[in-house]
Amino acid sequence: MDGDIAAHSQEAEKETTRLWRTFRTVYEMLADRGYEVSEEELTISLDVFRMKYSDPMGYPDRSKMKIQARPTEDMKVKYTPLPSKSNPNPQADCGTIYVDFCPDASGVGTKQVRQFNHIVDESNFHTGVFITQTPISPSAVRLLSSVPGRFCEHFQEQDLLVNITRHELVPKHVLLSPEEKSRLLERYRLKESQLPRMQVSDPVSRYLGLRRGQVVKIIRKSETAGRYASYRWVI
Amino acid sequence: MILVFDQSEQLDSMASGQGPSQNSALRTSLPSAFAAVNAEQSSLYAPPSQEEQERYLQARPGATPQHLGIALQHAHQIQTQKEAEDMILDRIIDLLAIPASPSADPAAPSTEEEQIFRSAMKSFRPGDFDNLITERNYEDLCGYGLCPRKNRKEANAKGETFHFKYGPKGSGPGGRGRSMEIVPREKLEKWCSDECAERALFIRVQLSEQPVWERRAEATRAIKIELLEESWARKEKHKAKAGSSTSASAPDKVSQADVTTSLENLTIQDTGRSQELAMERGDTALSHQQGRVDIQIKEKEQGPDSVARAPELRPEDAYGGSVEGYIPQERQKQPSDNQDGQDMLDQL
Repeated sequence: MDGDIAAHSQEAEKETTRLWRTFRTVYEMLADRGYEVSEEELTISLDVFRMKYSDPMGYPDRSKMKIQARPTEDMKVKYTPLPSKSNPNPQADCGTIYVDFCPDASGVGTKQVRQFNHIVDESNFHTGVFITQTPISPSAVRLLSSVPGRFCEHFQEQDLLVNITRHELVPKHVLLSPEEKSRLLERYRLKESQLPRMQVSDPVSRYLGLRRGQVVKIIRKSETAGRYASYRWVI
Repeated sequence: MILVFDQSEQLDSMASGQGPSQNSALRTSLPSAFAAVNAEQSSLYAPPSQEEQERYLQARPGATPQHLGIALQHAHQIQTQKEAEDMILDRIIDLLAIPASPSADPAAPSTEEEQIFRSAMKSFRPGDFDNLITERNYEDLCGYGLCPRKNRKEANAKGETFHFKYGPKGSGPGGRGRSMEIVPREKLEKWCSDECAERALFIRVQLSEQPVWERRAEATRAIKIELLEESWARKEKHKAKAGSSTSASAPDKVSQADVTTSLENLTIQDTGRSQELAMERGDTALSHQQGRVDIQIKEKEQGPDSVARAPELRPEDAYGGSVEGYIPQERQKQPSDNQDGQDMLDQL
């Protein structure tokens, strides 16, 4: 009996640690995207996490782990389209983000996604991030992307276990604002379709929540030039 | 397509879309159902107005109305495809809610639910059907759409990926021993019983691989989904008929019955045969003819000045003209000789 309890607590400990790492990556992701995230949220320690989010059994309680964040001014600038004749005062196309951890251990289908969509729509969040433990069904994926006017993304917990952008082989990706983009195109006398491309489904692109038509600047280290910048058009 | 979140709203939509009050024509002809859905939310995906189209053309000097027409047609196609996919998704969600009563018998479903199931199946592809099974299993339901029971779970076989299934005694090779099948566990756990598995797979093989947005309207209407029980009943009837025809002494009566059944089976558009014919002619691109995507034949516009004229003799044709731009040597010389002669005359 004693051994059983020990095994249980060991399992709980393992799961808590894994989830803590995912949780931290989520905050790092929000900060990298340009949302307002405080310092203590970014550097939450395992003990604090365990205290805050675990149930009496020692297992993490995912229903408590809901995150909301507002965009910073910098981010708003990046997401404001250039003023045009028909739209002289464009509004920033970004807003409060909502992150939800799905408590169901398996079989995440349309039911859970509908619930999530409902929360996002009801509370008027601009972006929603749905994090599950297992892959979700194909129809659930479709359902997630079908809320008109809102952006819903999906990640698996294991995808966020480590922050991929912190890996030494992943170069730095910087999103360009529409103004910077137009200056770049002018400088090199290009049309945007003449830029090299990158998919929306690219892991880094998913991490940064990029949208079609945006341009990212990729900064790499170079033996000869010190730093080398290249650009990618997200399609 | 509007997502239905609210339970009451969902019930409303189900009642309006698939209730028994709806006439059957609307249910079978998908295009009309889509038109109704489109009309509801025209504000969201409205095609550009005449004014907008003109403005678009003005901003692009190189573009002609024909270009715009082609672009619009493609946009419509993509839009119909998206709508169809959304509709299939909605149908999958609707089908999760039936059968409503937990004691419903999958072998004898209520007519209303059977109707809902059948009408949904018409627009499904086998892949969509698999999605439905996955979704139902996630909800702890048997994969067959008309079965209210839970799918079976091999609780004691945790970690085992395969399951050994033994047949009854004497079913083995040569009538000795037992037959044995090795089945992946996840396949077994999709259903509540082997009967339901058979029923569902019987439906699946009847589904059309062609996506609904590329079908002709009649092709969708002509699809007849038969439940397994119906097929059995039909076979029984046939057998009984065959038995009676040998014993009965009234052959013309039987032939009359045969004629009536064959007449019933006749449809104006026999999809299978027409597809066969199209294949034979090498005309496989039957897609979107009179289907959800309409075809618009546009004649090339010709101005009044481009009337064809009869060929007439041009000066260069006097010596036979050129052969693909090459003028043969002798012919080239002839006129130049003449010219030389004239020059000499002038000099003299």
